[in-house]
Amino acid sequence: MTQDIAIITGAAGGIGRAVTDRLLSDGFGVLGCGRSPRPADFPGAAHWVQASVAAPAGAAQIARTAQDLGPVTVLVNNAGVQIEKTVADTTDADWDLLMGANCRGVFNMCRAVLPDMSRYGGSIVNIGSISATVADPSMALYNASKAFVHGLTRSIAVDHGPNVRCNAIAPGWIMTDMAEDGFALADDPAKAMQDALARHPVGRMGMPTDVANMVAWLVSDQAAYVSGASFTVDGGMTAASPLNPGLF
Amino acid sequence: MRLQGKTALVTGARGGIGRAIVARFEREGARVYAADLTETGSISNASAAELPGNFVKLDVTSEADAINAMQRVRADVGHLDILINAAGIEIEKTIEDTTLDEWNRSFAVNVTGTFLTSKHALPLMRAAAQNGATASLINFGSYDGFIADPGLAAYCATKGAVHALTRAMACDHGPEGIRVNAICPGYIDTPMLQSFFTGDGSGGGGKSIDDLQQAVRDVHPMRSYGTPDDIANLVTWLASDEARYASGQLWILDGGLSAQVQQMKL
Repeated sequence: MTQDIAIITGAAGGIGRAVTDRLLSDGFGVLGCGRSPRPADFPGAAHWVQASVAAPAGAAQIARTAQDLGPVTVLVNNAGVQIEKTVADTTDADWDLLMGANCRGVFNMCRAVLPDMSRYGGSIVNIGSISATVADPSMALYNASKAFVHGLTRSIAVDHGPNVRCNAIAPGWIMTDMAEDGFALADDPAKAMQDALARHPVGRMGMPTDVANMVAWLVSDQAAYVSGASFTVDGGMTAASPLNPGLF
Repeated sequence: MRLQGKTALVTGARGGIGRAIVARFEREGARVYAADLTETGSISNASAAELPGNFVKLDVTSEADAINAMQRVRADVGHLDILINAAGIEIEKTIEDTTLDEWNRSFAVNVTGTFLTSKHALPLMRAAAQNGATASLINFGSYDGFIADPGLAAYCATKGAVHALTRAMACDHGPEGIRVNAICPGYIDTPMLQSFFTGDGSGGGGKSIDDLQQAVRDVHPMRSYGTPDDIANLVTWLASDEARYASGQLWILDGGLSAQVQQMKL
């Protein structure tokens, strides 16, 4: 019996790695990809291809590699870059790098897998962000690129049903190396963390596995009627008014 | 003058926002009925003669009052171009602390009041929306109908209900030429806001009211609260013929507060 194949972009660390581990344990064959060589600790059961989703040729190479392994029924577009600048400070090179990965990369990958996936059916999960609807300061292009992801998600769901379902996840603050670096830079890291926790109704920061749990559900038969939707996984943060916690 | 020749009725007309709307509408040339529980209201020492609009006694929770108010407009003018459902109350409690009476009172004023006033105004608004003209019905939702302030559970729920009601009414009465929108204010400097700050003593972390207010201002991209006149500016536009294609929308006016994610102190 041929194993269904899941492509996970940006699989080396953080959310991508958690999704890799989870889909492996759920019985998928996994092809991870990234711009770097295969990480030393990447699970032996998973395949790896070094390629950039930002280039159409890179995306095509990833899709071909996966299709040689088996039917690609899952694509998780997780690869993304973050540049902490306002519009005024953003350079053309910043635009190319960020939009290349976050927007064109998602488009490239979807376009590369859709012809086959439309025939035998499958599920695409795009990692968007709560930043698509509420702005993080000094993250202008990142915020905008994530709005693109949620918009493209709806279009793919509309255009490529019934065989392909396409959904997006909007993670909030997920503790990855990127987020930990941010806290380390704070004047008082412990206080910064305390402040951040107070803004989360569930009382903790997100973990990559929290996002992987939602990915696993969305690609499963449990979500057979779910398409074109965006799911927020943020510990309740965006349900609350953005006031200082404990002010009232 | 943007509202020349139009007739408007404003509920909660003696409240902070209601009064600004009534005064502005008069300056824009409208004939305005100022509907509230009492002629002078509770928030100022002004005499009846100093307050704008033609007073109409209206407890929005009373169907008889709604019928009487509209009968007065029908007798005077025969139609109503603009209805502003601005009456509202706020209970500053979590649901565990909210009594059933408080819950019912919140819904009675904020939701049932919007329903009753609108229901009995609609025939008059239909009469205004003739020969291509539109009538404009404006409800008061809130920023809190989208995202929650702590300790305001019943209020948040009533405003969510008003948002849904606004869309439903826009669908039902658009074909009759009646536009229905909701204004969703954030922090507006009114007596209700001051009451929120001085409130029940549950919060503030020992801060003075001034420090608390400054802290809240600082969270806003515009670094200030809105004023009742800011609200009146948008209400005036939505009530005017310039907004003839605007309907079924929830208009957030909050100085950018809800555009941003939580401002963690990194």
